[in-house]
Amino acid sequence: MSAPTSATPGIPSALAALREPFVPGNQPTFLSDLTVGELVLLEEIGFRPVDIVSGAGTSTWNPQFTTAGNEGTMWGRAIATAIDNARSGILEELRARHADGVVAMRFEMEREHASLLTCTMLGTAVQGTGRRPDARLPFATTLSARDFHLLVRAGYHPAGIVIGVSVVGFAARSAAQSLGLARDNVELTDQTTALYAAREQAMEMMEREAAELHADGVVEVQLQERPVNALLTHAVEFIAVGTAVCRGTEGHKALDPEFQLTLEDPPDATFSDR
Amino acid sequence: MVGQAYDDTGGNTGITGPDDLVFHSEQRARPTWTSDLSVAEAAAVRRVGLVPSGFVMGTAVMQLAAAGGQLYGQWGIPGQSLSSSGGYSESYPCAHGYMAVGNVQEHYGFSVEDAVLAASLTEGYRLAIERLHDEAVQLGAHGVVGVDLFFENLVGSAGTATFFARGTAVAHPATPPLPSPFLTNASGQHFERLIALGYVPAGLAVGVGAVYVQPNCQARGAFTVSGPNRQIPTAITVSRSRARSSLAATGHRLGEGVVNTEWTDRRVNRYGESWDQLTIAVGTAVRRYSTEAPPLTPRPVLPLRP
Repeated sequence: MSAPTSATPGIPSALAALREPFVPGNQPTFLSDLTVGELVLLEEIGFRPVDIVSGAGTSTWNPQFTTAGNEGTMWGRAIATAIDNARSGILEELRARHADGVVAMRFEMEREHASLLTCTMLGTAVQGTGRRPDARLPFATTLSARDFHLLVRAGYHPAGIVIGVSVVGFAARSAAQSLGLARDNVELTDQTTALYAAREQAMEMMEREAAELHADGVVEVQLQERPVNALLTHAVEFIAVGTAVCRGTEGHKALDPEFQLTLEDPPDATFSDR
Repeated sequence: MVGQAYDDTGGNTGITGPDDLVFHSEQRARPTWTSDLSVAEAAAVRRVGLVPSGFVMGTAVMQLAAAGGQLYGQWGIPGQSLSSSGGYSESYPCAHGYMAVGNVQEHYGFSVEDAVLAASLTEGYRLAIERLHDEAVQLGAHGVVGVDLFFENLVGSAGTATFFARGTAVAHPATPPLPSPFLTNASGQHFERLIALGYVPAGLAVGVGAVYVQPNCQARGAFTVSGPNRQIPTAITVSRSRARSSLAATGHRLGEGVVNTEWTDRRVNRYGESWDQLTIAVGTAVRRYSTEAPPLTPRPVLPLRP
């Protein structure tokens, strides 16, 4: 390994370094899928990349015949298991590398059939330079490098990914309703109630997970809601994924953003398709 | 000159074989440079002190050898290795527990690491990168920025792939050429930030992993079994892990780390319901040349109008 010099940053010294023959040392090569901009943001708050880490989980479930207000526990648990297996996989890889956490993570959920779900996670494991003295376990987060940078500068640190999953069934509509023959404007209270119940149960599960991590709160919660209507299955699937955060010992630090007024014209809102 | 066909090779290509598939700069009149840089990228490169020398490219059309063909029809026996190359292999018995029912083979699955396919892809990328590098050397450039590395099935038929590497060669005026020009997949602006941070790109690092998956009944989505499945996540994990190791190995030869990795997970369909779980990672190996980089603390701003 060529020792870093105290050369002034700039292209002449950079090119001079490339003239020196490079001898690979015994040190491990760090890997990262961070862009250079993201690398700058992390180095600035005292984190350096270690390796690319990943986790994956797959689950299948029986499509259940659901009735009103009946939670599809086995179905919901299967979805939660797929996400949890991916999360445990990536945390296991973090522990093996003695890393503090993973940032700028790619979180993907892919369905292949009606009842087969694969969840994958991939991101850059980072090590902090003494910024998290209270850290006991490595953290995973869905935050981007930019959001992680802001979070740490504001005096917080991520505790982990928290999830909430719930599947709640509702009664089928009447034959006239499903055929489009019903002519009355009524709220489908059963379906509204099922959505509320699913949301409530998923958020409760997410809060339980955050409490287990002794987190102060959860940020960047992303919701996915999917109605499933088959012959004998009428249910709503509700998935919530977020990052649990803890406030540091020094409390919140104000970022004091500078207000900016751009001199560019805004896009035409009247006739735009957006 | 009107109507005369433009011949940029001087009438004599001189191409005799694949080794000659490089750009012959001396045969081309070059009053100006070409580039695929955006205006903002060109400005960033100029701020660093480099000027574009020319658009450079490397291509290679490859026959993709894959072990999957020979494996088709070979069903797993639990506990017995399927792979002759000693890589990862695992058989996945029927998730229902069927042992001797008709059509039981439909329920069995296996996964085998496809090191042959991974090697084909690695070789295609290597050739494309090497030819891009040779063009940069011919232009007397110090490096190539914004290298785009990809493959498509454009020329040739099924089972072939065309590998491309393209980017813009850049030079530092009045500086003797480097022993070997640097290559980076970072854009002009990211290259500028990298230099400011005290890192210099050394070359491209490529990692490839492939696992051939013949799914068992559960991985195929049979709705009569439920619970966690191991076959799909294990194939993804092994494929990613192989790509990571080869990325680290090429990165280790060139520098202290790899940044800006473009990570692709792909599922390439094969015979019947089987597929190749493919992982491709392309990044830039970097060396730290300066520890004196000034802090780059960004100032938070809040636009008053979205």
